[in-house]
Amino acid sequence: MEEYAFLPPIIASAFYLVASVRLFRLYRRTSERPELLLSVTFAFAGVYYFAYNASSLFGLDPWSLRTEWMLEWVYISSVFPYMIFIRTVFRPDGAWAGALVAICSAFLLVSTGMGTIEGEIVYSLENTWFLVQWVGYTAPCVWMCWEATLARLGAQKRARLGLAQPIVVNRYLLLMLFAAFQVLACVSDLSLAHDMTSTRTISMISNGLLGGTEIASVVVLWLAFFPPPFYANWIERRAATIPTAVGG
Amino acid sequence: MATTLFDIAAERLGESSAMDRLAARGTLRLALKQAGLDANNLTILQLRAVFERLMPRELEARGVTNPTASCKVAMDAIESAARETGWEASSSPDEIFKRLGGN
Repeated sequence: MEEYAFLPPIIASAFYLVASVRLFRLYRRTSERPELLLSVTFAFAGVYYFAYNASSLFGLDPWSLRTEWMLEWVYISSVFPYMIFIRTVFRPDGAWAGALVAICSAFLLVSTGMGTIEGEIVYSLENTWFLVQWVGYTAPCVWMCWEATLARLGAQKRARLGLAQPIVVNRYLLLMLFAAFQVLACVSDLSLAHDMTSTRTISMISNGLLGGTEIASVVVLWLAFFPPPFYANWIERRAATIPTAVGG
Repeated sequence: MATTLFDIAAERLGESSAMDRLAARGTLRLALKQAGLDANNLTILQLRAVFERLMPRELEARGVTNPTASCKVAMDAIESAARETGWEASSSPDEIFKRLGGN
């Protein structure tokens, strides 16, 4: 099983890149910031997941330290537009949201910068920079989960007045689930760091948690951004017959 | 001076229902909360739904006589004032998420 651990991130990377292209094409039509920000987020995430696992996929030697650090920068580059997306969509006027974006950005830049200067990638609970970076990329996922939950509660009320479509209400639920899976993936990073600290090997639990959350994330994003007709029809029918179940 | 659609709506609601400024704003806020709407990001369509379906009950509970007629007068005044001030709706999360899924 362990030799196939790279498969879920490779599948996720393919999905992120396809979603990124679709959102960029949408941006070309609408010129609206949210689609551009999500497109850039998914592009960086897709490149990171693919590049990080490409050596396993193609049976190459492990990446050099320099390449690994470049990939770390690619990864944190996906977090900045993600945070700006959350702020733009849910808290455009919130000063605290701007401060949160600034704090998380500082955490990411300082931790990755210091790690690059020190020249070692240490996935360890004893490495302060690893923990600072972890907070920097986990906080936006928790924030997104919270905002999507609030947005869904409000949208359910609006839907009862005919002011929101059930499919949009359901999209908030899917986004909430996506963010929750991302939080779990972040927790699996801690589990991985714990493994590296104690046994120097990655356990099946860490691998399974990481792979499972990536696949689950892809499934909910697929339903959100590429809703198949049968799914959209099911949501609409369900909302019409059970008004209390608007949006799943 | 009214600057947002919420301000315009609260002002017109106060005029049509003879409520003071604070009471009108509070009543409107409560109705918006019930409808799951953000006071800072309203559209005319949303306000119309609130004034037709929720506000009459709210006004009745506050002893306003003829609440349905008050709501209609307020809504007409809101639409007219919004047109005069050239007020435009900003992009709400619902609209964004509708677009993102290709609807």
